[in-house]
Amino acid sequence: MIPSKFEYFAPASLAEAVSLLSKYQEEAKPLAGGQSLISLLKLRLASLKYLVDLAGIAELNYIREEGAGPSGTISIGALTTYAQIKESKLLQSKCPLLPQTASVVGDVQVRNRGTLGGSLAHADPAGDMPAAILALKAELKAVGPQGERWIQADDFFLGMMETALSPDEILSEIRVPVLPDHKMIYRKAARRPSDFAMVGIALCLKARDDQTCEEISIGVTGVTDKPYRAEETEKRLRGKKLEPKIIEEAASAITEGVDVMENMHASQDFRSHLARVYVSRAIAAAGIRS
Amino acid sequence: MHRVQARINGKDYEHEVEARLLLVHYIREKARLTGTHVGCDTGNCGACTILYNGKPVKSCMLLAVQANRAEITTVEGLAGNGLHPVQEAFLNRFAVQCGYCTPGMLLSASSLLESNAAPSEAEIREALEGNMCMCTGYQQIVDAIKYAAETMRASTGKSL
Amino acid sequence: MMNLDEIFVTRNWVGKSVRRDEDIRLIKGEAAYVDDLDMDCAHVAFLRSVYAHARITKIDTSKAEALPGVIAVVTGPEVAKQTKPIVARAITQPAIQYVMADKKVRYVGEPLVAVAAVDRYIAEDALELIDVEYEPLPVVVEIADALKKDSPLIFEEAGSNVLLHDTLEHGNMDAAYQEADLVVKEHFRVHRYSSTPLETWAMIAKHEKGNDSFVVWANDQQPGRSTANVCNTLGIPNNRFRLIVPDSGGGFGIKLAIWPHIVILCLLAKKVDKPVKWVQTRREHLLGGSHAPDCDVEIELPMKKDGKILGLFIKDIENDGSFVHTAGIYGLIKFATMVGCYDIRATRAELLSVVTQKGPTVQNRGVGKPTMIFVLERMMDIAAKKLGLDPVEIRFRNFIQPKQMPYTTPSGEIYESGNYPECLQKALSLSGYDELKKRQIEMRKNGKYIGLGISAGIEPGTSNLGYYYTSRGVPEYMGNAEGAIVSIDYDGNVNVVMGSVDQGQGHATTISQVIADMLDIHPERVSVDSHLDSLVSPFLGHSGAYSNKFNDVDLGAVIMATKKVRDKMVRIASHVLGVETGGLQVKNGAVCSRKDEQKSVSFQEIASLAYKKILLLPEGVEPGLKEIAYYKNPMAKLPSRDDFNVQITHSNSVHVVAVEVDVETGEITFLKYVIVHDCGKQLNPGIVEGMTIGSTVHGIGAALLEEFVYDENGQPLSASFMDYMKPLAGGLPRIELAHMESPCPYTLLGTKAVGEGGAIGSVAAVANAVEDALSPFQVKVVSLPITPQKVVKAVKETKEI
Repeated sequence: MIPSKFEYFAPASLAEAVSLLSKYQEEAKPLAGGQSLISLLKLRLASLKYLVDLAGIAELNYIREEGAGPSGTISIGALTTYAQIKESKLLQSKCPLLPQTASVVGDVQVRNRGTLGGSLAHADPAGDMPAAILALKAELKAVGPQGERWIQADDFFLGMMETALSPDEILSEIRVPVLPDHKMIYRKAARRPSDFAMVGIALCLKARDDQTCEEISIGVTGVTDKPYRAEETEKRLRGKKLEPKIIEEAASAITEGVDVMENMHASQDFRSHLARVYVSRAIAAAGIRS
Repeated sequence: MHRVQARINGKDYEHEVEARLLLVHYIREKARLTGTHVGCDTGNCGACTILYNGKPVKSCMLLAVQANRAEITTVEGLAGNGLHPVQEAFLNRFAVQCGYCTPGMLLSASSLLESNAAPSEAEIREALEGNMCMCTGYQQIVDAIKYAAETMRASTGKSL
Repeated sequence: MMNLDEIFVTRNWVGKSVRRDEDIRLIKGEAAYVDDLDMDCAHVAFLRSVYAHARITKIDTSKAEALPGVIAVVTGPEVAKQTKPIVARAITQPAIQYVMADKKVRYVGEPLVAVAAVDRYIAEDALELIDVEYEPLPVVVEIADALKKDSPLIFEEAGSNVLLHDTLEHGNMDAAYQEADLVVKEHFRVHRYSSTPLETWAMIAKHEKGNDSFVVWANDQQPGRSTANVCNTLGIPNNRFRLIVPDSGGGFGIKLAIWPHIVILCLLAKKVDKPVKWVQTRREHLLGGSHAPDCDVEIELPMKKDGKILGLFIKDIENDGSFVHTAGIYGLIKFATMVGCYDIRATRAELLSVVTQKGPTVQNRGVGKPTMIFVLERMMDIAAKKLGLDPVEIRFRNFIQPKQMPYTTPSGEIYESGNYPECLQKALSLSGYDELKKRQIEMRKNGKYIGLGISAGIEPGTSNLGYYYTSRGVPEYMGNAEGAIVSIDYDGNVNVVMGSVDQGQGHATTISQVIADMLDIHPERVSVDSHLDSLVSPFLGHSGAYSNKFNDVDLGAVIMATKKVRDKMVRIASHVLGVETGGLQVKNGAVCSRKDEQKSVSFQEIASLAYKKILLLPEGVEPGLKEIAYYKNPMAKLPSRDDFNVQITHSNSVHVVAVEVDVETGEITFLKYVIVHDCGKQLNPGIVEGMTIGSTVHGIGAALLEEFVYDENGQPLSASFMDYMKPLAGGLPRIELAHMESPCPYTLLGTKAVGEGGAIGSVAAVANAVEDALSPFQVKVVSLPITPQKVVKAVKETKEI
């Protein structure tokens, strides 16, 4: 249970890291917190020739508010740890979905080391953070040899541990909108609290006083080979009163168009069922006026 | 090969290591501090928990090269002379059976009490999610941590 | 039970929660587990089978051997040539298996090649360079597959995949069926799980070239038997093999089966000029580090309408995977206490051990009793429901009554003491059972489903090792015993060396408490080495830690050896003080006159005579103050099919559990967990409590989380702690524990088994609680584990978990 040999680089800047990746392309991989990648290397399920450790790049660890008011955003450096997100007062008050989600990722030790950027770039089909990022309609900044580009969360996850990043690009920043008046909830079904999600539902919901759903976005994880937006469910709720029957009907579409995964913990049927139950419960909980 | 300088329990260590050497093996085999244990391959069991720049992490999920210039505390360095209050509490509350998980548990527990002087039972259990124990069923460990919190509060004169 | 006045001179320590002596090293990180031993070693890694069943057509290790840093390689076929096959204990069919795969592989994870290299990293690199060609064979995974007429054979020489098939009948079962008003029948399937100690198997083997002998350091749990097995398998004389057991990080039975790997390490050590070390990876542990077998149990209870059970029939088929050494023993142990806490006068047990392509099985905490109590206690609830009786009531109607003690079961097991009805009564009142019942009704109105589960279980201790007489004629081992050496040193302090080993049970502390009260000294003056060295420790074939034998025969040996030392000190003191031995007493670390305590000689002074001024010793007294004693429990019967006790002590407990089941998600939450436990005299309640709660959590894990899952090709799907799900600190109930004390008349101190009871009672209690919660949906629990998926499916469709 020991990694195969590889060469190790610890660049001090993002530019240096990008140039290493562009030199070695598919044979290299960036290492963030390592809470997934090192495990894969130990089991020799992943092998690579060059490991580019981003941990020394101090410029990628921050949480800051950009602009004020409803159009404001919060920018988070890719190497910000789950623990930092969980503890961030700024996020707790302006984007509670992220701290809420980060607080149920793995265990204390994983949260101290694992990073938001690492989680997204690794794109585990059952990771927690991707669901939240989708629900927040975040924007992701990729930096490559040609400079930087922004990728919409909806366009980021392509398949099983596959993202829109090219081998020589590094995810450097995650930008989330400040969404006042939105209820945010992350609910996860897992065998034990620190396990990967069998189903995870992240929800941003804006409802009027009369319980009409004004805006909703739902990120789903654990269900198929990649985290996704539950667009059909959202559609069935937008502009509707959040009544049990409507919610149930909308929830029934949660896995629409999706090839549901199966493993020893949950069959396709059970996973679909759980997704329906969890999304209904999340909506019901969020729809209730505080 | 890479040169690693790490400060472990206040002492400086310096070694040439292979890039793939896991930090836990560095601590056990190069620094010869064998209180840090290996109980699984996948970062689940927490027997290898150390304080890394002050925070609990699993040393089997880091490479030794990454620990260059890091400040590390292992169970051997948890207390100076004598025992840390958490160690005292583990003794008094029968929180140890085989002892294999104990070093990791102690480090997780001491870190919790550093940031939370009066944790609830639920908070203690959450703080131990990354540390598996096969012997105790956790209850006496949880009780020991509660007890340690009390004694630490009493000794620092902090009340709730 | 002995007259305690003959044993103890004070009662200051025994029975108190004395802080564990051994913990100081453990909490400071100063323990010395095998992997911590500071030795310059070569490191071993194993190439293991990736197929569940395949013929080996080629093993080419040349590239691996050429890798710089690789020192030596041994392959399965080479090992088979140099060793005898693994000795089988219980099965009756011939089945030849070597410690490494020889001509074919029989499970994923079976060792094929062992590589020794300068470090573990290179050893693992070398594995990737080994070229193995397999010819895959048809695979047998589940019991039903193994029993098919045309099933592929895993051991061709056996002629069948059933390696043991025996029926044991005691009392008149035919009459029971005839007199019965009804026969309640059920069919249960219990899964594979394991207690997975946190420290995996670990060993270092060193070959002494000079006299062609071996020294092995290993975390072996049963060194007595392992020593014999290793020597027999290697074909070497006993005096060429020395086993040392250092600190061990948990056992639970799983470290009883490490000896075949010791054999391999020895062969490898022969090729290397320094010690070779192997530390099992967790993956290796979960693949082939031994499990409790999955099993298939048909059960029948002929009974009267009033709930009285007349007889008990089980047909128990164990899926023992592919390890002939221990195959078959689960059924035999289960059968011994199959009546549980109930007065059932006729039993029939049909026992089958089948081999399949799952991993090896070994004695996991409770060995079959968790399953037996699970099926029996499930049946009590099922029968109660059939008869319209309360689950509490049906138990009261069938309990063995205190006035029947000692109670002999139909097969000859002797339950020495206990008050089962009172134990249940106490658990009910402690749990607030009636209140919880009311709350259940209230909550159901709000669509919340809570359930209450009870289980009453027997926790036997000290196996009478002749139990597999049933299948194989005269057994190699009989009865149970242990050895101890107790000495007084120059300073008058006590040193103890044991034949048994410790994996976290706190033996050293308990021993020091007993000796402290025997010699009126502080326990700190007693130093116990619970690390075995076969060259110096007083071991027997029975030596080790298993079947809760410690506070019976292990302490028996300690007490007897201490008495010998004490008697010798009194004799020397008598000579020194000029007082008859009858007029002397042991007090405060000295021997003094009963009449005049001023007339006194300290242990230190006595030691000075015994070790140094030996010319001053009385006539006929040998120098030295070191005594050895072996103690065997006197109650073990000689092997017989008609009348035999498989175990000698019998603790009992009642678990009462309340759970809430979310019927939409299948999640189960604990609301209450109460145990009333009777293990006779408790020597150290802090230790007893820890072991009871810890083993209860093992049972909760088995009931709800843990399972070794295999696909249809025999590929294990749960080979890491990510998928083999152990209980974690969150999500567990707070366990409330209360005690009763029915001393055992057959152990010196009135103690009984401690350590397995929680694991035995909890599985059934949790299952009963879940079924009770789901009773509005008519769901029946007949399998384990109870997963969210099964719960939801049962509620919605199948009505069966």
